[in-house]
Amino acid sequence: MTGQDVNWVFADLARGERAHLTRVQIACYPEALIIGMPDGAQITWGWNTLRRVRDQADRRLMVLSHQGDPLTRLYLADQEMQKVVTRNAKSLGKRDHATPLSKVLLWAGGAVASVAVIIFLLVPLMATQLAEILPPEGEKALGDTTFEQIRVALDETGLGGVRICEDPAGTDAMQAMYTRLNPDADLPYEVKIHILDHPMVNAFALPGGRLVFFRGLLEEAENPDEVAAVLAHEIGHVVYRDPTRDALRSAGSLGVLGLLFGDFAGGTVALFIANQLINASYSQAAEARADDYAHDLLAQANISPEALGTFFERLHEEHGDAEGIVAHFASHPQMTDRISAAQDAVDPTRDYDTILDAQSWRDLQTVCGGRETSSSDGPAPSKKPWQKPD
Amino acid sequence: MPPSTLKISYAGEKGPVFWLALRTGILTVLTLGFYRFWAKTRLRRYYWSAIRPGGAPLEYVGDPLEKLLGFLVAVVFMAFYIGVVNLILMYFSFALLNANFAAYGLSFLGLTPIIFFAQYRARRYILARTRWRGIRFGLEPGAWGYSWRSMVHWIATLCTAGLTWPLTTLWLEKYRVSRTFYGDRRFVQGGSKGLLFGAMRHVYYALGLSAAATVMLALYENPAWVLVYLLSGPWLIYGWAYWRAESFKRMTEAKQLGDMQFTAKPRPWRIIGIYALGGLMMNIVLSGVFLVAFMALGLAVGTTDLENINLDDMDMAATALVPVGVLIYFLFIILTRAMTHAWITLPLAQHFAEVTEVVNTQNIAQIVQRDRDEFAEAEGFAEALDVGAAI
Repeated sequence: MTGQDVNWVFADLARGERAHLTRVQIACYPEALIIGMPDGAQITWGWNTLRRVRDQADRRLMVLSHQGDPLTRLYLADQEMQKVVTRNAKSLGKRDHATPLSKVLLWAGGAVASVAVIIFLLVPLMATQLAEILPPEGEKALGDTTFEQIRVALDETGLGGVRICEDPAGTDAMQAMYTRLNPDADLPYEVKIHILDHPMVNAFALPGGRLVFFRGLLEEAENPDEVAAVLAHEIGHVVYRDPTRDALRSAGSLGVLGLLFGDFAGGTVALFIANQLINASYSQAAEARADDYAHDLLAQANISPEALGTFFERLHEEHGDAEGIVAHFASHPQMTDRISAAQDAVDPTRDYDTILDAQSWRDLQTVCGGRETSSSDGPAPSKKPWQKPD
Repeated sequence: MPPSTLKISYAGEKGPVFWLALRTGILTVLTLGFYRFWAKTRLRRYYWSAIRPGGAPLEYVGDPLEKLLGFLVAVVFMAFYIGVVNLILMYFSFALLNANFAAYGLSFLGLTPIIFFAQYRARRYILARTRWRGIRFGLEPGAWGYSWRSMVHWIATLCTAGLTWPLTTLWLEKYRVSRTFYGDRRFVQGGSKGLLFGAMRHVYYALGLSAAATVMLALYENPAWVLVYLLSGPWLIYGWAYWRAESFKRMTEAKQLGDMQFTAKPRPWRIIGIYALGGLMMNIVLSGVFLVAFMALGLAVGTTDLENINLDDMDMAATALVPVGVLIYFLFIILTRAMTHAWITLPLAQHFAEVTEVVNTQNIAQIVQRDRDEFAEAEGFAEALDVGAAI
């Protein structure tokens, strides 16, 4: 059977029947690779059905398989013959998928649907229910944890957290503002207000009645009523337990998203982006509700509710759309609604007070030691205002 | 008559595995993590094919699409569990205990049965997709049995401060190995209860010495006792390497497959050497990369005209720096992983492979093929929980 013009070379064949390698001879013909078995039988592998097993560690060895035969392997060590095989077989790198793509797509759809139902329906529903029944001590503990995490996260020096501003005159002014608004009847627990020495124009509420103001917001406000308006808005979030619900919600949905994207570097980014998107889209109703609450609270204290609208409006004009803190508001359609809602809440026949006298307002603005000594004046990081971060 | 002993040769090389890990790592980041099924499959193909008992390479035949499918199947079930259970645990830990760590602890505790379950299933998948000489390996079903046994053994280990770890290791290995097949032939893991305690002896010596020194230090307040730690610290490291080598040797030599048996002679000092050299090389390379990065940064700052700097440009530069920083961070992780493959994982695999021999192989050709283990969820649960094998 050994033709004169063909060159027979030894190779090893595993047929997937017994744990034994068969020493065979192979030869290249124009149309196929011929495998000569020791008993004289011949196997023909057409060139286009030949596949090379990829990612093999031993670079001197070529491992060949045959389309439609998942078990058989041919181990070819002869370098010359390897070159001939590479020249003749055109589909060595082709991959024959054993798993049907339709099945993958089906389960991918199932996975996406299941994750969507859990993140957008089940987890929010449960978070709302659980936030209602979480005891105040539990909420406080949740808030304490989050507060420390935020202080550390915002600190650019990496030395243990952003400073809390505690100038007594300034904190007294803030407390006076709170007392004037007098929301205690609506609250399950006492509210604690913190002012952080950070240039960001922002304020947010945390679970358990912690309100956080940044120095940047106090400096940006033109009059105490604007700060009072923000304060009233944040108290609104506390009354409706929005921060607690958000914290519980992100605890549930972050876990699920982590599952989906895995733990590797690429996953972290996807996870972060996805969570930001979810958070950005879900609290519109909560924002409107907190605004309504703020309007009532301000009206009761005889402060013009318009302050809430004017503050947004002015920030928008001053900083333009590009600036991070307004970008969020500028981009979503309720921005103008919110401003006009604030204007609608104004009673034109009434003569409104201002919430602080000039001296207290100065004290409040310099609670962190005044502009001159402010520790950092870098550009404000883009951050959504009036929302709690996670 | 075939030779009655098969030596295991090793064909893996540092360079190729480094580039393979680097390339697949970059692709994984670029695809937001979804290439990881392909990355893992390719690395496994490489590592498996490097091990050549009797000159014939092992082959890993797992299909990345199959792994992706398995992962999706696992997500459908796990998403519910993780989302709802995490939320409830978080609620209870704050409602009852007013603390966060309890939520993490409870959440982890709630997951442990599934983690062990997933590990066994992953092993079953990997063995079902491993072949040598064209014959499949296999693992019998039994993941829940493995799960509860693991829990019991782990609790026992924790209660004894880890002193019974050798017993736990052997018992769990027995459970797994006596359900493992090569073709139609079942593996047997022998060894009495005390088999592995001797392998832990240097750890016990070092811990005993440290404990004695601590007691003396507390009693006599003589700072000279601190010097004992200089001895017991390195001894502990040696003890750990000795444990890895000796427990492997003892368990391997107590395994049987039909008439076949195994011998192994791993060397503790070689293991320490691989880690020391690998760690040193990785430190040198990473320091070099940092140095070059700093010089590039210095050059960029140096060429800037500080007199006429434009504040808008500064803002632009700061905005541009964030993605660059993120990119460098990922490159750093990928580079570290690739180097770990080249300088630690591969040399260790090489050492353990080369010191192992299969003996009494004269009847090996009588072993016949086993059926394919179809496996809907592949190692999806392990993938989802991130507890799969490192490669």
